[in-house]
Amino acid sequence: MEQIELVDNEKILSLTRQERFLVKIAAVRDKICEFGILVITIISAAVVLFIFGFILSKSWQIFKINGLGFVTGKGFDQQVLEAFNAPPGQPVWRFGALGLLIGTLATTIGALVIAIPAGLGTAIVISELAPNYYVKSFIQTVIRLLASIPSIIYGLVGLLVVVPFISKTLITNDMQIRYIPFFQLTGNSILAGIIVLSIMIVPVIVALSVDAINAVPKKYKEAGLALGLSHWRTIVKVIVPAAKSGILAGIILAAGRAVGEAIALSMVTGGIGNIPNPAHGPVYFLTPVLTLASAIVNKAESMSTPSIEAALFACGVVLLITCALLSVFTKIVEAIVKRREGIE
Amino acid sequence: MNRKVIRDAAGQALSWFASSLTIAVCFGIIAYLFVKGSAQINLDFIITEPNPTVNQAMSGGISTPIVGTFLLTVIGTIIAFPIALATSIYLAEYAKKNMVSSLFRTGIDVLAGVPTIVIAIFGLAVFSNPQLGVFSSMVEGVKGANRAFGRSFLICGISMAVMILPFVIKTCEEAIKAVPKAYMEGSLAMGASKWHSITRIVLPAANSGIITGVILGMGRIIGDTAIVWLTLGGTLRMTGIQPWWSPINWISTLRNTGSTLTSFIFFASPAGEGNQPEKAFGASFVLIIIIILLNFVTELIARSRKTVKEE
Repeated sequence: MEQIELVDNEKILSLTRQERFLVKIAAVRDKICEFGILVITIISAAVVLFIFGFILSKSWQIFKINGLGFVTGKGFDQQVLEAFNAPPGQPVWRFGALGLLIGTLATTIGALVIAIPAGLGTAIVISELAPNYYVKSFIQTVIRLLASIPSIIYGLVGLLVVVPFISKTLITNDMQIRYIPFFQLTGNSILAGIIVLSIMIVPVIVALSVDAINAVPKKYKEAGLALGLSHWRTIVKVIVPAAKSGILAGIILAAGRAVGEAIALSMVTGGIGNIPNPAHGPVYFLTPVLTLASAIVNKAESMSTPSIEAALFACGVVLLITCALLSVFTKIVEAIVKRREGIE
Repeated sequence: MNRKVIRDAAGQALSWFASSLTIAVCFGIIAYLFVKGSAQINLDFIITEPNPTVNQAMSGGISTPIVGTFLLTVIGTIIAFPIALATSIYLAEYAKKNMVSSLFRTGIDVLAGVPTIVIAIFGLAVFSNPQLGVFSSMVEGVKGANRAFGRSFLICGISMAVMILPFVIKTCEEAIKAVPKAYMEGSLAMGASKWHSITRIVLPAANSGIITGVILGMGRIIGDTAIVWLTLGGTLRMTGIQPWWSPINWISTLRNTGSTLTSFIFFASPAGEGNQPEKAFGASFVLIIIIILLNFVTELIARSRKTVKEE
């Protein structure tokens, strides 16, 4: 048997005293840095918590006084005006944001109705139909550019192109006179909002749908083709259904963007909190409305009045909850996608 | 059989129609801005200060909005980047998989989806507290008002940082996680400490992803209007002590309001008070050039990353 000599680690490395000291210093420095990033992480967690807490606490009064009435009551514009001009000592705390809610829903759903087919079609072209790499990367570059155009530019183009177009081609003098008792038809309308929003959210749907379609295993497509389906049939019946949860995630994300868009919509939808009336027929889409997000932009000037500030924060809370729910939905859908990919 | 062929062709045609419509709209917007905007662009427009008047000849150019955009981008990035990097390192390398960390991740996800306008009123309300008056100026001359103005470059920059923080954290974390595990293991096996491995091996390997995240964050700051409109106000000029550009007055400039390209466009559009669409188009032209340049840079970085991976 050979004898194994136990030697001190440090003797093998033959460190001098000074070097050992340096090693220790380095270890301490590592610990300090690691502690530092822990502290910073806690700070950013605290910021996240603080934001949610702050917004909820600011709007608490509104929800305490109005209860659910905040989302079922009408007349936000009038109430903000009253609250702003209220004599000191008798602040107005009654607010009803039903009009804003309906405006938000109408523009978001309308935009989705246009953007889903357009986005899905574009995604199919990019991932399946494009004849070669250049066409594909060209379309993708354009989509990326479309995604990064600031919303103010969409608002500007919407205001100077879409709105005049609507007022010239769709609104006649007769119509204007007939609807004067309800609202003024200027072209600033739900329709303008829908058109602008749908252009803004198409890139989101395209980006996520392309990812989802590319993630579908190749053998699905091959099996479809081998069974004698045409390429298009394979896309419609095999690939898109297999990618549907990813596409759904894109649609939810797009809905979140549409709900939260403030500036562009405040520019093109007219900024008046009408509740569009389906009985008006097609004029429904020409009604000027106000959405939750653009209400905050429009009324921010009068935020020095505490009750208006609280009401705007309450709008913020409704937006926050909607968007939180939407992003939780996206997470669930993504988890489903991941699990399915894991199994197959 | 024939019907099926027609149906297939119709479906494909619809898809092509959808994508060409999208592309046409994109080119339409950009071409429209180029035609309308390039007519406005000249040196005078770029280097003169804006002037809040309806008189076209007097209303000046966009020098301070460009400076404002630049200032906000710098402030927002300087605040958000270190915090986001540290947080993402912690989340990617140190955080254990437990309730707290997954709750925090959900919080970041939710915050990333919060509309910027909500961040904007948050910033305005927080910094209107009189205790935080150092960041802006106190409201004076209004009887019984004890609150800060709540609008300044600093406040807007901080709000911007809050806005991009979750986004940058997520992209940095993804970039760090995309570094192959073998790098870290190799470094640890050589006897380097964990911190040393992270700072010398993992971060350099992840840097193109991190830079891309930061540039995308900058793009969001440059393009945001809601936060600017609420926390920087609707002023056009720099409202600090004049001249705003001399170094002695920098602090005052930062504590006071001004404008950015986006708020200038909003102001000059028919929706704002200025109502000079031509000027708005000029500013949009500059804005979109900046955005296209940023896009180009990220594309270059992404491309270089791909070639590195292939090697």
